[in-house]
Amino acid sequence: MIPRFLRGVEESLIALLLVAMTLLVTIEVILRYGFSSGLLWIQELTLLLAAYLVLLGAAYGVKKGAHIGMDMAVRRLAPRWRRMAGVLAVLLCLLYCGLFIAGSWDYLAKIKRFGIELEDLPVPQWLAHGVLLVGFGLLVIRFLELLWKIINKRAEGVLIADEAADAVDAVDAVDDVETEGESRKGGPE
Amino acid sequence: MTTLALFAMLFAFLILGLPVAIALGLSAILTILFFSNDSLASVVLKLFEALSEHYTLLAIPFFILSSAFLSSGGIARRLIRFAIAVIGHVRGGLAMASVLACMLFAAVSGSSPATVAAIGSIVIGGMVKAGYPEKFAAGVIANAGTLGILIPPSIVMLVYAAATEVSAARMFAAGLLPGLAMGLMLMIAIYVAARIKRLPRQKWAGLGEIADAAWRASGGLLLVVIVMGAIYGDIASPTEAAAISALYAFLVAVLFYRDIGPLKNVAWRQPDEALAAAALRNGVRMVLALAQSGTDSEVRQTVLAGAKTSIMLLFVIANAMLFAHVLTTERIPHGIAEAITSWGLSPWQFLIVVNIVLLIAGNFMEPSAILLIMAPILFPIATQLGIDPIHLGIIMVVNMEIGMITPPVGLNLFVTAGITGRSMTWVMAAALPWLAILLIFLAIVTYVPQLSLFLPELMDQMRGIK
Repeated sequence: MIPRFLRGVEESLIALLLVAMTLLVTIEVILRYGFSSGLLWIQELTLLLAAYLVLLGAAYGVKKGAHIGMDMAVRRLAPRWRRMAGVLAVLLCLLYCGLFIAGSWDYLAKIKRFGIELEDLPVPQWLAHGVLLVGFGLLVIRFLELLWKIINKRAEGVLIADEAADAVDAVDAVDDVETEGESRKGGPE
Repeated sequence: MTTLALFAMLFAFLILGLPVAIALGLSAILTILFFSNDSLASVVLKLFEALSEHYTLLAIPFFILSSAFLSSGGIARRLIRFAIAVIGHVRGGLAMASVLACMLFAAVSGSSPATVAAIGSIVIGGMVKAGYPEKFAAGVIANAGTLGILIPPSIVMLVYAAATEVSAARMFAAGLLPGLAMGLMLMIAIYVAARIKRLPRQKWAGLGEIADAAWRASGGLLLVVIVMGAIYGDIASPTEAAAISALYAFLVAVLFYRDIGPLKNVAWRQPDEALAAAALRNGVRMVLALAQSGTDSEVRQTVLAGAKTSIMLLFVIANAMLFAHVLTTERIPHGIAEAITSWGLSPWQFLIVVNIVLLIAGNFMEPSAILLIMAPILFPIATQLGIDPIHLGIIMVVNMEIGMITPPVGLNLFVTAGITGRSMTWVMAAALPWLAILLIFLAIVTYVPQLSLFLPELMDQMRGIK
């Protein structure tokens, strides 16, 4: 399991990225109307942060059972087959991550050789895009964790992880009271 | 062969219960691996570009964040009170007020499930208490909630704009009249049903209550004005308007309504407090609250909920773009377009085909993903047949609305089931009668292009005069 303080870091980072994006775009508007000026790098940075948000957050979504899909067919199976389908689904997800990690490695190696910088920010492109490896790496950790849970009958599949994850959260909430509101399912959708 | 493999893999993965995003991405990357000479590195580059090169799509997380604050704060509750004051006294008025509340919420939020959750969680219980059958209440909300993506702002329209490079602002303008028309149709249907079923009416609360409710709801109503004004008035791009609306929703929920955050339960004026003292106290507390929000757990949970939804949606969109990229490199849209053109369909026949295909697709996939896959296929044919891209976009949006209340991936059904605690089958049965109205509405939108095109064309003319 991932240590508790790291989990807090993950949530804070995700929230911070979204807030930073919102403020950056707002600042851009204020600069344009208040000072008739603009900063070229704001837009590039905002878009880069959006990519960071999704890539780093996808793994968090797996943990929270936030990814949507169609589980009607799988739900009809007998529990034993349902677990088998769950294992197969997670293995396919791991294959997805594996292919993207291999691709990211090639891609990053290539742009590192070329030594390109971002358009408006003085940062090497391979470093900025390196988040690809981090994001898919985190996904692998989450899927392995999920696989372990399915094998131990503590979860049933990628999507059906939902209820199981809530139950696990509830248990976590008992053993650490400071993660308030975890069990409350907030927000739209 | 490639096409077949691509779609076969997609459906197999979906049925197996893979998340939509990964099913799309995996079938795309496997197809490239086996059937194409492109390297894996180029696929990764495409994915990164999908995430970081679409400024229009940035509006999505901002609108979702803004919805999160609007729903967690009591803005939905205040909009509902206003709607009931306006229309509650008619027979079936509470249901009509719910539709009106959905329309108002749709005008500040871009998502259908968010609309159902925000409005439905309050009004369904209220309607049942007032003597409405629960099935009736749930059916109305599941349907009226679909207005979330038709009345601008709309996440689905932003995705269409990104897929076809049509202006998002023009799409937003095009959605307004159809949205009002659909709300009106639902209200008329409710009135007829209420007459037949002898549903109750509320007491006429008087103009004073309307004014008071409007004043209290003004924080939310003003957001409609800000977002629409900024976009239609060419002051800000949809993305900028979305960011400002997220910031505004935070300020209203935390500083003014004080339903969540550090100022919760802090009174504007304490008994026997002098006006100047109250103003000073509030001023200081509000400035402090801005800093305190950084560590406040409710604010944090709201931002996190918004982030979670945004991540999920953007991940689907990026993978769907990858899938669409494979389609285009295999020249699949081109082939399908040629086949359909060779049938010699007239525009109206083509639109029937479009509706049928989209209605079927809407049952299996997430709306944004369908738009990204189908738009590149349908767009060139429509242009050839002289169908306006904006009109096509609105037709696609209305189809996606219908997909949201039909199983198995009808998001609104899930949300309604979650609110009422009933089974999916029960909610489906509740929503079914109202589906007929949506289908009639789809026919109207399809064959009366003026309904969608009137406002954007008016906007163009006004710009011409300026």
